[in-house]
Amino acid sequence: MSVRTRLTQTLAIDGLPVAAALALAVVFFSLASPFFLTQENISNLLTQSLFVIILAAGMTFVLIVGGFDLSVGAATGLSAATTMLVLMNGGALPLGILAGIATGMAFGIINGFFIAVMEINAFIVTLATLSIGAGALQVLTTGTQLTGVSLPAFAWLTKGSILGIPTGVVITLVIVAALEWVLLFTTFGRTIFAVGTNPRAAFLAGTPVRRLTFSVYLLSGTIAGLAGVLLASHLNSVQPGLGQGYELSAIAAAVLGGVSLAGGRGSVWRAVIGALFLATMAQGLQLIGVDPLWFSIVTGASIVIAVAFDRAVQQWVIKQLAAATTKRQIFDDSDASASVSADAPTTSATRSSVRNTK
Amino acid sequence: MIAITAPSQRFSRLLANPSAGAILLLVILIVAMSVAFPNFFTGINAGNVSNQMVFVLLLALGMTVVLITGGIDLSVGSVMGLSAGIGAYTITSGAPLVVGLLTTMAVGAFLGLINGIMITKLGLPDFIATLAMLGVARGALFLWTGGVPIIGYMLPEYYVISGLSQPFGFITVPILIAIVAVVVVAVVLKFTSYGRHAYGLGSSPHAAVLSGVPVARIKVIAYMISGLMAGVAGMIMAGRNTTVAPTMGLGYEVAAIAAAIIGGAALGGGRGSAFGAVIGALVLSITANAINIAGVSSSWQQVVTGGVLLLAVVFDRVSSLIRARSARLATRLAHA
Repeated sequence: MSVRTRLTQTLAIDGLPVAAALALAVVFFSLASPFFLTQENISNLLTQSLFVIILAAGMTFVLIVGGFDLSVGAATGLSAATTMLVLMNGGALPLGILAGIATGMAFGIINGFFIAVMEINAFIVTLATLSIGAGALQVLTTGTQLTGVSLPAFAWLTKGSILGIPTGVVITLVIVAALEWVLLFTTFGRTIFAVGTNPRAAFLAGTPVRRLTFSVYLLSGTIAGLAGVLLASHLNSVQPGLGQGYELSAIAAAVLGGVSLAGGRGSVWRAVIGALFLATMAQGLQLIGVDPLWFSIVTGASIVIAVAFDRAVQQWVIKQLAAATTKRQIFDDSDASASVSADAPTTSATRSSVRNTK
Repeated sequence: MIAITAPSQRFSRLLANPSAGAILLLVILIVAMSVAFPNFFTGINAGNVSNQMVFVLLLALGMTVVLITGGIDLSVGSVMGLSAGIGAYTITSGAPLVVGLLTTMAVGAFLGLINGIMITKLGLPDFIATLAMLGVARGALFLWTGGVPIIGYMLPEYYVISGLSQPFGFITVPILIAIVAVVVVAVVLKFTSYGRHAYGLGSSPHAAVLSGVPVARIKVIAYMISGLMAGVAGMIMAGRNTTVAPTMGLGYEVAAIAAAIIGGAALGGGRGSAFGAVIGALVLSITANAINIAGVSSSWQQVVTGGVLLLAVVFDRVSSLIRARSARLATRLAHA
């Protein structure tokens, strides 16, 4: 019983299961292939997973507030296209980068307007903007080859290196660190947790729910724009269908990292570990000779496993908690336990109560 | 006071009919196109539109059932592709046509069953389960075909079944299949206990559980119907295209959801009808046809589908706001 309890408590620590899975995957692939732990491979792996890492970090904000953004992949693709378009027509590099980021922001503003102001289901709105964005990319790339920008500074964004570390990795680290800081140490970050945990209570407490929701979609769109700029620099060419399926990977990464789909729970670094796990799987499977086409199956399956696993652990914790609560109620009629027995407590509440009862 | 509110009440009652907006949109579209382009309002074009709308219509019918129960199915495009691929493969490996067609439909229903099980047994949110299925089914098709389209399954009868050859004029076999599907879904929704349970479940899941509705079974069957419809659509599309490309059905989930919502189905569940799905599919197909006739590049297709979906949900939202306001007004008047 006590071993079981301890196991459950360990499993319920957010981010631990996926970190363990990542470690296992790394160990497995380095045993399976001598090329896995080479500097070249690691640097390849990181460069290829930058885009999903960045998108997953942005997606974390949207999921924490209890929303959903299916349009990030299309936004990334279209932002890459506008960046290329500006640079190909002789625009200066800052202008090109700005065009890409502005494209992403436009997605964020449109999504935010319909979701936060018009109060339409996030899922349908972003599905519609996904379709519009992917279609617009198709329109832009028909008849024009978006390729062949020969600006060294543009290529340097992903292919150069700072102190031996690829530039793209440095940029991503900066973005991820900044986002984690915003989430943990700013009023904005703390209040989106409140909105995600209980929008009604947050509203009654005077939180500007609408403005926060809008900002979160704006943030996710802007991040997608940044990812698009980097993607354009990485590929130096844009085809129709670029960015397709990135939303699936970003959501998978976040969910693997224990970001709750119901809102109110998650962190940027855990989503990044989720993204790294997916990238390791993709690269590792390819190294040991598995067809890279397996990747979308692995992504889909890992979403299902992660969510089902999370749910099972949560239910276990709640059961343990209910048992502990009844035991405690016999001794004192503490009112703290009353709120815990509600049918869907958040994990942080659940976990702190587990600690209290111990 | 009453004289002032009467027209606005009549207006909101009109809006309360879920398909009213869509029908209005449809009429405006048809009139505008007929005036602008003489070759729009012709028998040949009507035949074209009906033959093109079959896919979206079938998917929208299944989607409507899922939406009524309060769920959503994102996987229909991928399921359509994978089931068509497996069905075509059985024919190329020597199975009779009937077996191939039945396999296509069975694979669709089976993938729907897996969706249903993930949602009811594993407790996954419906959009996550079906999003995963979208990725897995598409990946499986790519992986298995190696990116190479499947060919060589076009038996002579398949040309008739897919509507490529039209022995009875523009009323092709796919149109007949679609009509049968509409009638069956309409009857199931309106006149069977399954249909009543589905609406009940979507309107109030909690009440449905308390009144003994077999919630899990209703949901699983809804996803199976959606999968089956995707299979049927895949079967027809495999014949229409004469090859199964690994990208077959890509993005069709957007069109299916758009058609169902335009036809009055709601994301919250409890609303929608087979007739609405027909109207929704008509709106989308006529829009696509209008783009084509107006000479706009077909690359715009996806943009327009997304735009129409956005318009449909905005319209739905605005009309429900108006309904709520006039209901409040009516209560206030009754109290005064």
